[in-house]
Amino acid sequence: MRILGGWIALTPELDVKLLLGRHVWDCAQHADLWGRRLPELRAPAQESEPASDRVVRVLDVLERFEGRDQSVERVTAVYRVLKPHLATVYRRHLAVANPVYEPPTRRILERCIEEEWRHASAGAAVLARHLAGAGMAERAEACERRVLAALAEARGVTGDVEEPLVDATASAPDPAAVAQDLVEVPPPFDPGVAPADLGERLRAHVAALARGDLEAAERHVLPEARTAVRQEYARLQGPWTQAAVAGVARIGRYRVTRLRLDGAGQAVVQERWVPGDDGWMIAAAEVARLQPGG
Amino acid sequence: MDRPIAYDKLAREDRFIRMRARDIAALKVEQGLPPFPDLADRDAIRDRVHGILVGELQAMEGAGRTVYDFPDAPWEFTLDMARQVWDESRHVETYLGLLEHLGGYVGEFPESTILWRCACAEDAAARVAGVNRGLEGLACDVFNQLVHIARKIGDPIIERSVDYVLADEITHVRMGSRWLNELTRGDPERRRRAIEFQETIDERFNLNGTRLDGAHEAVPISIAHEARKLAGFTDEEIARLVKSTQRSQVY
Ligand SMILES: [Fe+2]
Ligand SMILES: [Fe+2]
Repeated sequence: MRILGGWIALTPELDVKLLLGRHVWDCAQHADLWGRRLPELRAPAQESEPASDRVVRVLDVLERFEGRDQSVERVTAVYRVLKPHLATVYRRHLAVANPVYEPPTRRILERCIEEEWRHASAGAAVLARHLAGAGMAERAEACERRVLAALAEARGVTGDVEEPLVDATASAPDPAAVAQDLVEVPPPFDPGVAPADLGERLRAHVAALARGDLEAAERHVLPEARTAVRQEYARLQGPWTQAAVAGVARIGRYRVTRLRLDGAGQAVVQERWVPGDDGWMIAAAEVARLQPGG
Repeated sequence: MDRPIAYDKLAREDRFIRMRARDIAALKVEQGLPPFPDLADRDAIRDRVHGILVGELQAMEGAGRTVYDFPDAPWEFTLDMARQVWDESRHVETYLGLLEHLGGYVGEFPESTILWRCACAEDAAARVAGVNRGLEGLACDVFNQLVHIARKIGDPIIERSVDYVLADEITHVRMGSRWLNELTRGDPERRRRAIEFQETIDERFNLNGTRLDGAHEAVPISIAHEARKLAGFTDEEIARLVKSTQRSQVY
């Protein structure tokens, strides 16, 4: 629950962000139910401790997936491994929980099992959207192996779980129930929202930046802004293999664009365009993000 | 993961254009536009709704950070913050729908991150005072006015959905009041600092005379007296806020 909450701000993709946002409260309620059950079983309320240092290490592995570009790892670790593992442990506990003495525990288990599987299904649906890129599926598999290995070393969250740690034979939850966890996110950005004449100039500008022709790119800059813009452009380390308009916002008659350049690394340039006698011209530019190639 | 994280770590898809609030306002003024979108026409309402959408996103992110950043805080505090994360995620969904309803798109207007910066306060008491009482109090003002304007222009979709969100925000302000009291019990100095932080936020979000005590149609952001009372603000606190809007502010 805490890790999910902490990750929301660090996750750029809207659908992943909202997936995490949807589940923090469910997870908190699960923890609360267990915490309140504890004193009924003669243990202190709302006090938890890890089964071992190795269990702590599992969570350390998870917490390290905090990079901007690690959403695939975040979703994989929690939704493909941790939640299915929790559901597995809960189900085995339910199978041996005495129906006469332990209905209070059984009810919590039943609720948690149902919700963990529902979360896992929602996570799988969101993850599927992000696995299309080159090497993504492999990254997810590597992450899954890594988290499972850490869990195996700890012998599961309780320190005494028998293999398999994730029992995949569970029945899939009702798609209608899963739907409540999935926020319909808007379609990808459409560069067609820019005014037609700006769109035309943007295409030429992006192409010039992409091929590293800064002289041509500077022709789209207002003379009084050229020195400052040139300094920003100097930070761009190509070569670039792909370039695209990633966003266009309006401030009155002005437009602010975000251009993304991809090569070995990545750069994002934010530019403010103003309309004038010479058509749309750049009044300010800044490199908003630079990721060196590796 | 750091506790708390640096404010510039806030992650966004590239369709969002991030800018400083004062730069956005200056560029508007330069074109003869009001610095903050009024509710004069559908275009301005769309700009306002987009601003609320990114505010809801930042509120969700901020509450999520509060769940993570304070492992030693009372459990019920964490529980309230976790609930707020869920509420804000539904608000994001609502405002995504309203933006579409108004013919807009995500990223159509720049995003400023003053809200998020306030959510990065290091002390939990300051965070709930600033975010839950300061910013969610502002949300009560803005939403209450939007409900009123939507009713007036005959848009039941905006009217009804914002009214539901307003109910949640009132609850969030109440949470803020409760935890401001409980977290600072027996520590008047911590309480004083938290309230001071809230007051700087209140001042800042008076937005250079944008928030004023007046009729919904007459002022850019009106103060929601009734909603604020429901949320647990005292008459004295509301009077103090009204007074603060009468001073000249900078943003
Ligand atoms: Fe909200
Ligand atoms: Fe809220």
